[in-house]
Amino acid sequence: MSIQLYITRLKCLVRNKEAMFWCYLFPILLASCFFFAFNNLWKIEYFDTLPIAYVSEGEESESFEQVLEAAETSEGVKMFDIAYCDEVVAKQLLEKGDIEAYIVGSTKPELYVKGSGLNETIIKSYLDTYRQMSVTVTTILKSNPNAIEEGLIDDVMQHDTYIEAVKDDKKPAELLVYFYALLAFSCIFAANWGLDEVVNIQANLSGRGARVSVSSIPKMKLFLCNILAAFTAHFGSLILLFFYMYFIIKVDFGNNLLYLFAVCMVGSFAGLGMGAFIGVWVKKKAEVKEAILTIATLGGAFLSGMMMPDIKYMVATKFPLLSYINPVNLLTDSMYSLYYYDTYERYYTNTLLLGVIAIIFGILAIVGIRRKNYASI
Amino acid sequence: MVVKVDGLVKRYDKLVALDYLDLQVEEGEIFGLLGPNGSGKTTAINCILSLLKYDKGNIEIFGKPMGPNAYHIKKDIGIIMQNVAVFDELTVYENISYFCSLYIKDREEVKRLTQEAIEFVSLEEFKKFYPKKLSGGLLRRLNIACGIVHKPKLIILDEPTVAVDPQSRNKILEGIKKLNEEGATIIYTSHYMEEVEQICSNIAIIDKGRVIAQGTKDDLKAMISIGEKISMEVFRIEEEALEELRRLPNIYSVEHRENLLEIKSKKGKNNLVSVLEFMQRMNINFGKVITEVPTLNDVFLEITGKELRD
Repeated sequence: MSIQLYITRLKCLVRNKEAMFWCYLFPILLASCFFFAFNNLWKIEYFDTLPIAYVSEGEESESFEQVLEAAETSEGVKMFDIAYCDEVVAKQLLEKGDIEAYIVGSTKPELYVKGSGLNETIIKSYLDTYRQMSVTVTTILKSNPNAIEEGLIDDVMQHDTYIEAVKDDKKPAELLVYFYALLAFSCIFAANWGLDEVVNIQANLSGRGARVSVSSIPKMKLFLCNILAAFTAHFGSLILLFFYMYFIIKVDFGNNLLYLFAVCMVGSFAGLGMGAFIGVWVKKKAEVKEAILTIATLGGAFLSGMMMPDIKYMVATKFPLLSYINPVNLLTDSMYSLYYYDTYERYYTNTLLLGVIAIIFGILAIVGIRRKNYASI
Repeated sequence: MVVKVDGLVKRYDKLVALDYLDLQVEEGEIFGLLGPNGSGKTTAINCILSLLKYDKGNIEIFGKPMGPNAYHIKKDIGIIMQNVAVFDELTVYENISYFCSLYIKDREEVKRLTQEAIEFVSLEEFKKFYPKKLSGGLLRRLNIACGIVHKPKLIILDEPTVAVDPQSRNKILEGIKKLNEEGATIIYTSHYMEEVEQICSNIAIIDKGRVIAQGTKDDLKAMISIGEKISMEVFRIEEEALEELRRLPNIYSVEHRENLLEIKSKKGKNNLVSVLEFMQRMNINFGKVITEVPTLNDVFLEITGKELRD
């Protein structure tokens, strides 16, 4: 009987096109927007060694080759991975996309590129700097042949690197906040389904609730069946969102994926509990309940840095208590700590707090639902 | 006795919705609860079902006190609410099956009962339809099927024919009679007196939260002084003639409005004959003549001084 009720409720949920859009499709669309908006930023912030080819012009090229080989960023990342070949091969490599560019000659090195982009700009800038240096050194030596002994050339050659690589292989923290906030917001979106479940079993909120209330099935049993169905459908949406972000747009969530799923699960229950709580205890019309729920979830997402990452830090420093009672923030912070810290202390604290919030909401909702009859319908 | 309500009082702040309401519903009858909108019918039903808290009174169903936890009583009650209460995301079949499974554990039994309910309300062709694709009448029939699918002994129908086309209304009323013939006790609330007259074996007229009259339709009609209503198409009649008409034996009310002469007479023989003789004697031309026995509306009008549909 319970399984049948669970399955039927699950059918109801997955056939609700509006709920499906907001729960399944909308977060994916939002993740895609984030991806397209920030993808270029990531590329700027990253630096990988650039594959190039060098077409030598003989022995006089040797010093230029050494310059190319020695080029590195301030963090010690080698700038160029050089293939030495003739021009025909270099052209083929460029056509195939195996290299970003090829350089011919050394006295007046010529750069050949296939398109225009950040990597091409870096190579060109490097080459321009080299040419400029060569001219400067030649000019100095012409006017002062003792410049080398006087250390003048060393001073001229001293210059700052123009590429700074990120310290490790992780994507920038500020951008990840958006994806964590999205995942967290999707967890808390379960609140809408929690509210629906209450509406469907409360006689004072719907005709269906009245029909259920006069049936011979205990209301708590039905509520638990329905909440479990809502959790199943909602957690499915989280898994789908995660897979989309992780495998399709390649968001790097670190290595603690099981922990991530665990906190999402707790977050989903917290959302369901929050919705059920508002459904039971806000003594207003359904539209008012929905509005309160929207304000609560969107407000939570805003304070957790979904719209502006700086807000998260401002709240954490100026209103720390708010950080600890905002489920969306607890969720993002748990995920963030998984990514950035080697220890799990902060993750456990956040997840535990989130669990406590879920339990409090759940208990209060159940207390309200256990009321058997109403002053008015 | 299937339902016994004693001295039920329900207040919404200062408004008294039920004012010491007493009801007795015997097994096997179709009990009609008739009253204008706002008279307290739905409130009474919600109190009987323990959905609403009430201030005073006792309610017994099947001889046992009714309460929110009385699941042993609830399993034998079917409810069809005024508003259609089904899931838009489930088909006709799935909706009926779902509500059946709130009462019945055995899956095979649920299937059998669901099929029977579908046949009962003649929705075989629509069982794969979603509620939004159904017309108002079909939707009402689905609503009824969801309420009776578990074969309850007591079925409560709260204005099930509101906004329903005549064809579906007849189908619903026939269905209610059939359910009663199969052994179910029915409580039927409505403000449509014709429906109540048509199907109910026992009727309570309710106004301002009180039962103002109760009995069979004949009992109720016998309570009032009107025996016959005669309506005649009369285009012109003098005031003196109307006065003389009022003085005829048994006639106690005469009104002429918009070419229609309406005469109410007390119970007695040959009332129509004496009226027709009078018209002939006075040389008053008249057209169509209709005689009617009093309706429940007349009963309500005489007791409360207002129309049922006011």
